[in-house]
Amino acid sequence: MVILFAVGLYIVLTKQNLLKKIIGLNIMETAVFGLIVTSGMVTGGSPPLLGQGLEPPYASPIAHALVLTGIVVALSVTALALVLILRVQSECGSIELDDLLEREE
Amino acid sequence: MRSGLALLVVVLLAGLMMAGVSQLPPPGAPDSAVHGHVAATYIDGGAEAGGAPNLVTAVLLNYRAFDTYGEVVVIFAALIAVLAVGLAGRPIRSPRQAPTVPVSPVVDQVVRLLAPFIALFALFMILEGHVLPGGGFQGGVVLGTLIILLGLVLSPRRLRHLLPHKAVFWIRSAAVLTFACTALTGLALTGWLFALPEPHWLGESVIVGLELAIGIGSAFAVAGFFLSLEADRHR
Repeated sequence: MVILFAVGLYIVLTKQNLLKKIIGLNIMETAVFGLIVTSGMVTGGSPPLLGQGLEPPYASPIAHALVLTGIVVALSVTALALVLILRVQSECGSIELDDLLEREE
Repeated sequence: MRSGLALLVVVLLAGLMMAGVSQLPPPGAPDSAVHGHVAATYIDGGAEAGGAPNLVTAVLLNYRAFDTYGEVVVIFAALIAVLAVGLAGRPIRSPRQAPTVPVSPVVDQVVRLLAPFIALFALFMILEGHVLPGGGFQGGVVLGTLIILLGLVLSPRRLRHLLPHKAVFWIRSAAVLTFACTALTGLALTGWLFALPEPHWLGESVIVGLELAIGIGSAFAVAGFFLSLEADRHR
């Protein structure tokens, strides 16, 4: 998970294409979700569904709920970023950060 | 030069995080802190106090209902922002018919054949989400994918015929409105925001109603994101 996070961070830092930056951000988010969800599991455990004839120990439901919330927020952020990138593309004709900064000067 | 510097920063940070993660209890250990305290209490008293045998749903819709309300508002706000950015400041042009590739009859038939089953599965996930794996958001995403699929295959005119504009307006805000209503009915009936009303069947039907609202609301949000991006591309 740390490696996945590092890959995402590297992409965000080095790539000049805004779309690739968003993909890097999503990779980072996936790493965090994976870390939280795996922390909630139990070896030989069952999903936290009561009344289905499953035996304890149950996996922690809190980790699941947390990650579910996180995924929804990540989705919203991605959608907003994408539409803003589309807008930048149609206004400035480029989504390469180099080009955009050059034009500023 | 710059990527070298970035690589250095990332490697340093990764080393630091690796050191931190190595101190965590190994995943799967039954006695780690994640399974104590709150999680243990939820599992012990969960089904009665939480109102749903699926404990994830119980945590989302009862114990942490405020958080989920915030989550629903976040996705709704993002939808509004996406629609606003898509529309704002655009010169009003006559909608030019984009050169679209005609849909192959095979794809058309297959989507028509599969659509009812996908919709059924999504509804099953939403309605049984408090007992079985699934829930409002998960079922909602499946339903949203179905709407996206239909939006790609059907022409925009036929999709608009299927989903009238006015209905979409209300459906998009359904989740937020239902959540607010649930909070207030809980306050009126029990004195606590988001508390489930007393007879068991009433509490359960509140949970199912919430799931349905979340599912349909998030389905239309997801579909709204995609279809507005797609419409943007054609302009």
